[in-house]
Amino acid sequence: MILITGATGFLGRSVLRRLAQQPGETLRCLVRPGSDPDELAALIKDLPSGRAIEFFPASFNNLDALKRAVEDVSIVYHIAASKSGSFAAQTANTVVSTENLLLACKDANLARFVLVGSFAVMGVAGLPKGAVVDESTPLEAHPEWRDPYTYAKLRQERLALDYWRQGVLVVVVRPGVIYGPGEPVLTTRVGVSMFGWFLFLGGANFVPLTYVDNCADAVIAAGVAEDVVGEVLNVCDNDLPTARQIFRLYRRRVGWIRFFPIALPLLKLIARVNVWYSEKSGGNLPIVFSPYQVDTAWKFLRFSNAKATKCLGWQPRVSIKEGLELVLASQPKT
Amino acid sequence: MDLNVHMAEQAAIHHGVPQAYVDLTAMLKEVKPDVVHITTPPASHLSLGTLAIEHGAHVYVEKPFAVDAREARELMATAERHGRLVCVGHNMTFDSPFLRLRDAYRRGELGEIVHVEGYMGYNLAGPFGAIFMGDPTNWTHRLPGGFAQNNISHPLSMILEFLDDEAPGVVAVGQRFRKERYGDVRDCVLDEIRATLIGRSATANLVFTSQARPVQLYVQVHGTKRQAICHLDSRTLRYVDGAAMPGPFRRIQWAYEDLKQARREHRRLVRRFLSGKMHFFEGMSELFRQFYDAVAGRAEMPIPMSEAVRVTAVMDEIFKQCEENRPADRDQEAGDLASAIGGGQAR
Repeated sequence: MILITGATGFLGRSVLRRLAQQPGETLRCLVRPGSDPDELAALIKDLPSGRAIEFFPASFNNLDALKRAVEDVSIVYHIAASKSGSFAAQTANTVVSTENLLLACKDANLARFVLVGSFAVMGVAGLPKGAVVDESTPLEAHPEWRDPYTYAKLRQERLALDYWRQGVLVVVVRPGVIYGPGEPVLTTRVGVSMFGWFLFLGGANFVPLTYVDNCADAVIAAGVAEDVVGEVLNVCDNDLPTARQIFRLYRRRVGWIRFFPIALPLLKLIARVNVWYSEKSGGNLPIVFSPYQVDTAWKFLRFSNAKATKCLGWQPRVSIKEGLELVLASQPKT
Repeated sequence: MDLNVHMAEQAAIHHGVPQAYVDLTAMLKEVKPDVVHITTPPASHLSLGTLAIEHGAHVYVEKPFAVDAREARELMATAERHGRLVCVGHNMTFDSPFLRLRDAYRRGELGEIVHVEGYMGYNLAGPFGAIFMGDPTNWTHRLPGGFAQNNISHPLSMILEFLDDEAPGVVAVGQRFRKERYGDVRDCVLDEIRATLIGRSATANLVFTSQARPVQLYVQVHGTKRQAICHLDSRTLRYVDGAAMPGPFRRIQWAYEDLKQARREHRRLVRRFLSGKMHFFEGMSELFRQFYDAVAGRAEMPIPMSEAVRVTAVMDEIFKQCEENRPADRDQEAGDLASAIGGGQAR
């Protein structure tokens, strides 16, 4: 039996689909109690029938239910996580939930616990311009200066590795920016939409994209690869594009967009003013960009997937060019 | 302080507090706080509040104040016995438009109050709604009034400012318009509540809805001199004075007066924004400030402790009637609602 959390999410659906293509153990999807049966039926409607699939309703707050969910399970793919909300909400939904699942797994006879982490946990603000980001990059020292997502994912990864030291066979797969059909490709690394304008911020910075099916392959491989327990593996595709390349392609394929390019020095100035005004006014405007966040997101960094390709024997099947074409073809035309 | 170490630590780190605790007694003994803010689910308010008071702290309690009026009275009695203050988190009654409304009422600008309408919308698919609707074990489902109990204290605390009665008469009906699909406690959650409060000299209606859009919170106060509409989402206070011109000119004048009111409020909001005064929890900050002044002996309590008990008692009665009037099916629901509010079409 293989347990998947977050199977209804963007990456989870792809992991489920690719696992279902191969014959093997039953796939058990942990879902929220009371999930819409029609949505769950739609999730597996067009899947290949390589394996039996079952839904197991359980709350991450219910340790007894989680213990039942991991009975007879050999591999856990823990993909579920909160992507939005306050520090408290994301800590509850990502960190506390992961600890409960790890507690449930502690006494289970698991062969592997694959945690889907995030590139966000790396502390890149202090790196020199143009540095290579890989698994040796230090962890973020001030996640609270970044955003609730970074804070929660960092705590989650540390927690999982603590449980590895206590005997749970944990592997952490950290995807970069997961993209694919149906998801917006103009992420914050490219720019932000504001008041009907797109502020183009990314310039010549590389965007660590990973096509959703490529990422799913890496996650699945982490569940069976040898000698990866206790390891952290960064996953992004080869030949990464710059924000400018993505934006140009977007405008060519999807259509006209009202945009305003902002150079890095100007962005840093805006960030300083934003923080100054937000603090002076006691939060009259939220901090959209702090200088620390700007340093984190746009530093002309390069990203390596060498360890993942070596340890997992994994290679992206969909190239960046093919992936971007697929995604842009799925975007509504403007 | 949180029972879960991750939750305690995130709060401490996020707010720059040097120490996090998972044991309230240990925290009270070590820190000896002057004030404890209790922001846990209401079922724990009495026990945590009592513990804090017994350790010498004044207490700020998030709404809803307690599970029921019995617990509310017990907490108030404990505070009085120990000479401590307890403040309920009816923070929206300290948002700027409501402060202006209160001032206008106290200055007699509205005249005698005849009727109050309190309206609150709620989005069950919103950030908090999704949490408790995704989890049958969520604490809101264990409240007598479900998730509505966690919310209606906001409009109710505003409405009751204008009703003098200690215990106004209550007629209430709760309904559920959602599709039944969970097979657990979530199918019992009331998503619509209608209540009429009947006082000696004024009446009030409370509408709580999770169906209507846009989601908004407002009170309309009808006085013998003029009407005021206090909108907590747009943070505006508008008055309705009618029009004195004859015939069709009356309608034109009325609409023009509405326009003037809206324009005035628009300018006020822009000024507040530009001067850095438009904060999301402005009422909460103001309530904290006034409560701390009371703790320091510089001012009266911003909300008397007895008011927390009064609001809780009215909520008890509303939920008791919602339970008693729980309809068997939708047709029955409509009929019951119509008869409970004295006729008319329910839906």
